[in-house]
Amino acid sequence: MESTFTNSTTAVLRTRGGAVDSFPPALRRSFEDCAVQVVAVMAACRALVSRAILPLHFHYVCRGVMLTHIREKKRWMKAYTLIMERKRKMEGPPPPKPRSQQPNFDYNAEVEAFSARLQESFSMELLKTAFVNTCYLRSEEERRRALGLDLETTALNLKDNDELCVHGQQFTKGFLNDWCRGSFPSLPEEGVAAVVGHLTGSEVMCHVARNLALEDLTMSAEFPVPDETLQGTFFAVIGALDQSSGPVRAGLFIRDFLVSQLIGKDLFDMWKVVDPMGLLVKELTRKGIALPEPRLIRSAGASTVLPLYFVGLYSERKLLAQGPGETVLAAEEEAARVALRKTYGFTENRRPWDFTAPGEKLQKPSVQALTSG
Amino acid sequence: MTARGTPSRFLQSVLHNGVGRYVCQLKRISLIFSKKGQGSLGVRDFIEEGVVDFAKSSPGTVVYISPQSCRITKIVAEYLNGNVKEETVTNKTSQEIAELITKLSNQSGLDIIRIRKPFHTDSSSIQGQWHPFTNRPPSIDPVGSQTK
Repeated sequence: MESTFTNSTTAVLRTRGGAVDSFPPALRRSFEDCAVQVVAVMAACRALVSRAILPLHFHYVCRGVMLTHIREKKRWMKAYTLIMERKRKMEGPPPPKPRSQQPNFDYNAEVEAFSARLQESFSMELLKTAFVNTCYLRSEEERRRALGLDLETTALNLKDNDELCVHGQQFTKGFLNDWCRGSFPSLPEEGVAAVVGHLTGSEVMCHVARNLALEDLTMSAEFPVPDETLQGTFFAVIGALDQSSGPVRAGLFIRDFLVSQLIGKDLFDMWKVVDPMGLLVKELTRKGIALPEPRLIRSAGASTVLPLYFVGLYSERKLLAQGPGETVLAAEEEAARVALRKTYGFTENRRPWDFTAPGEKLQKPSVQALTSG
Repeated sequence: MTARGTPSRFLQSVLHNGVGRYVCQLKRISLIFSKKGQGSLGVRDFIEEGVVDFAKSSPGTVVYISPQSCRITKIVAEYLNGNVKEETVTNKTSQEIAELITKLSNQSGLDIIRIRKPFHTDSSSIQGQWHPFTNRPPSIDPVGSQTK
């Protein structure tokens, strides 16, 4: 009796215009095997009825399940949703995709906008070369070889950014060294090297590169772009700028984006000095000033958990600097550091650096007071 | 909710923008609208009239127009610091959309949450920060010359 029922429904389905073919294979198999499952038959009847009424919209759920609008409660929906949730929780978040593989990205337009946004006129070829990394070229060639493409017809006409990177690195380091020596004439060589090393280190450079949207345009083998690759790309961009617009514009670019990262930073965050007192003694002997004598100036709470001592450094009975600390030795070291900051001109209340654009001039206050007090 | 329950941040700028040159922080703006829906009328009018002027006036921003069959008309703005802001513009007029886009291009990408202080400085003290020992007379008299 069941088989006749199945046969009749199958015949009916077939006469309604081959609807069986578009059913999912599981349902089709159940019909063909004649191993009747009541649920499948009911679903088939339901789908048949609604299909006869509304053949217009297809609700795409996933590759295996496609159904028309059914008025009844979709009893499989809750189980399906729960399974997908469990799967998503098990697998974790999907791996990040580079911006170039997400919708709405036109590489040419983005590169031109990059150049316009920074108010620099780059030469497009140099800039596009600067973004191409060696790892990308290697991975692209391997991919093409794996796909079996003929290497002659599909050769990659891209040059990588090695030369630009080296050139940019040399230019940046040279410019930063000159700037540092010009702004802090009394800073010794190790100090200058430490500051320049901090500014050209991968942390600062990658931070600046990420906030200038270089990561979107970089062509590299892996995503997220590793720090060294990003740093190399940034150097290559600076090299491209130098070759397109000249050293003056490139210098202004480095000043605006790298030197401004020094704002608010303390000298000894970047330059690890183990023995500040010895360094201070060396500085003072070089200048011919008498050696510093430490004296305890203030103390408070000596027998408590948080004692405070102020130690002052005197040379020829004149106060050089004073510094606080929890122990007398710590206070002496801090006083030596304060004295070094004063000597090198890296105090918090120093004159700010000049960031004016090349066309403008700093307005000096030239108006004299009208009333004398 | 109260100030403690909602997120807050300090006044800051992305990469000290403005100290050197000023860089427009909006890098990409995408208009997602439908070609025939009533909700996208404003966006379609804006595309006819104002989008080209906007694109010309901000050369550092890439404008993407993507007509798709969608019910909700959206503007997606991406900023240099990575933040993505989506605004729904269904049933808005062309004028309102123009103002919204100007507002988006003037923002930096930082979150629009409570700003704790309306000021920020990197050099907080010129003459030195006060501590209880500033200007305090010494507790012992000056030690005179130690001649015996």
